[in-house]
Amino acid sequence: MRHPPSLRDRSPVHGLERRRLGVLDVFAQSVSGAAPSAAMAATPVIVAASAGGATIWSFAVATVLALLVAACIGRFTRRMAAPGGLYSLTAQGLGPGAAFACGMASLLGYGLLCAAAVAGAATYLTVLLGGGRWVTVAAALLIGIVVAGLALRGVRVAARVVLLVETVAITVLVVVFALLLAGGSLPGTGETTAAPVPGPAGIAAGVLPAVAAFIGFEIATSLGAEARRPFRTVPRAVGATAAVAGVLYLFAAHTQVVGFAATPGGLAGQSEPVLVLAGARGWSWIPTVLDLGLSMSFFACAAATANALARVLFSLARDGVAPQALGRTHARFRTPHVAVSVSVPVAVGVFAVPVALGVPAWSVLVALLTLATSGFLVAYLLVCVAAPVFLRRIGELTWPAVATTAVIAPALIAVLVAFVSGTPRAATVLGATALASLGWYGWLRLRRRDTLDAIGVYDETVADDVHGRAA
Amino acid sequence: MRSALAVLEEVVAAGPGVTAKEISTALGLPPATTYRLLNLLVGEEYLVRLPDLRGFALGRRAARLALPAVTTLPTAARGVLEHLRGMVRWGVHLASFDNDRLRIVDPDPDHPPGDADLLARYPQASALGRLLLSEQPDWRALVRELRTFTPHTVTAPDELTARLAEVTRDGLARQCGELRVDRGCLAVAVRAPADGRLVAGLALSGPAHRIADPDPELVEQLREHARRLEPLLA
Repeated sequence: MRHPPSLRDRSPVHGLERRRLGVLDVFAQSVSGAAPSAAMAATPVIVAASAGGATIWSFAVATVLALLVAACIGRFTRRMAAPGGLYSLTAQGLGPGAAFACGMASLLGYGLLCAAAVAGAATYLTVLLGGGRWVTVAAALLIGIVVAGLALRGVRVAARVVLLVETVAITVLVVVFALLLAGGSLPGTGETTAAPVPGPAGIAAGVLPAVAAFIGFEIATSLGAEARRPFRTVPRAVGATAAVAGVLYLFAAHTQVVGFAATPGGLAGQSEPVLVLAGARGWSWIPTVLDLGLSMSFFACAAATANALARVLFSLARDGVAPQALGRTHARFRTPHVAVSVSVPVAVGVFAVPVALGVPAWSVLVALLTLATSGFLVAYLLVCVAAPVFLRRIGELTWPAVATTAVIAPALIAVLVAFVSGTPRAATVLGATALASLGWYGWLRLRRRDTLDAIGVYDETVADDVHGRAA
Repeated sequence: MRSALAVLEEVVAAGPGVTAKEISTALGLPPATTYRLLNLLVGEEYLVRLPDLRGFALGRRAARLALPAVTTLPTAARGVLEHLRGMVRWGVHLASFDNDRLRIVDPDPDHPPGDADLLARYPQASALGRLLLSEQPDWRALVRELRTFTPHTVTAPDELTARLAEVTRDGLARQCGELRVDRGCLAVAVRAPADGRLVAGLALSGPAHRIADPDPELVEQLREHARRLEPLLA
């Protein structure tokens, strides 16, 4: 008779609403995390600046990279459900040190993405309503309150609202882009000045901002414990989000490239391509509709990342890494209410304080997105390296798992290096975070060695889940 | 399909804790196929991964593949039921909940209950079934279809959730005219004295209008007899 590992009576992440969310709710969370509508409008022109005529190819490469990262994450999420997201997965492959690093990178990524989403929603709302920086600050505070309220009220309500808002936002963007595409190219100067195709180096440089458009697509991972049939739902949601976002980006990039095909300099020569395209056709209503759609998309992104951010904090607290109070859950709403009420105000403050001090809202938004991307890239890299190690440990290694990591890990390292060297500010923040994390890690190692070794809490199978072992 | 069933069978044969490699070797299946099938069965919750993430065991859902064992009721328990039947003019039924399946083990001979298969298939529409559902982390795991039997049948998921919360709160399940317009049912749980596990349900069936506003004395008698059954059935 074999001796199976002992089962607990309740999950280490008890207190959350276990096994309740449907497929659509989980999928909506991930799509909102990636906020494709915002990137559809903003990213193609940034990519075109480096990739020129090969803009579409840069997006295609970025989509493949995102799908490979989704595949690596799927190796874990088909086997375990973890509210802590990527760091809990990394722990199963690479052990406590890497898991801790991934946890810090996720906190940085989710925290700044949440701040950036609040920033985006507030900025576009200000454009819509008119007004100065105080309107933006007030809008950010209001959005923060609504986002925190949703995250506190319960994961099902939050997921439904996110699903609704994101569906409207994407529909608006797709309709606008379809109209623009149907309009064809803008009349040019007569000479055919097809944008130069820059070759592999240009495509690679364009991949950088294109990859940044995908960050947040794995956010459904943090709903693992709360999803019904999580081992089926979560990997599918993450993979489908990467695919859907990829298709939307290719469509948006194609629309804009075609629109400026006859214009000297092509898309790369523009600063606000969508508005120029709309203006050239005399559709003055488009900017208003676009601003509304974008601010909704950013709002959904803020709500989705707030859910994920709170769960990472909650999970780190249950691991004994973060203060214990953050691991508490609300008795009635079954949400990590302490973690929500700490993290959302910080995220709002990160945006609202500099704006109140007079920094332009737009530059704060761009800086936050850039810094968030660096955090995500580190976390993706660690989880992708962890995947085959994890499979080997549990005796389920296959060659596709090794091949995926062999392709994606060097690619992510290259993207990360290029990204950090290209944006000194990101390098500084990443370096400072690394130093602070190292200090924290050292302290934990000295004081709480046992806690640290057990890092990476997840929703384990409990006695009640096993046939014939119900307590 | 055949391989999936073979994998399921191998987990039962080898016992909890068996690993993917062991299953693959035992069945002579290619490892990649075995891993895929295992992940599929885990995704559908017929299997679960044990906390070391290497070992497998049968999940709760696998219990639904098993046929319920025929049980005979202890004579003492039969006596308790006869006593209650002597006191009230309503139908008195006892149901077991083995493997999360409702089965009438002692129907009232003078007031036969509805179709047994119907009761087992649509637990949400009967008082006994609601006892079972209110014990589940998520009732959807046991409910296939929210079928309408009468105009009173609860078919909205949110309303059912609210009804089941009432069952948990009051320790009393009921349905008024939801299976048959003129009949209703009250049911209370029979729990194992040691760990409080739900083992059976004791139900009274009668005219729907009487169920809507039950006589407190009657409910107390029902609870009293359920308590007497507890040491006899667990």
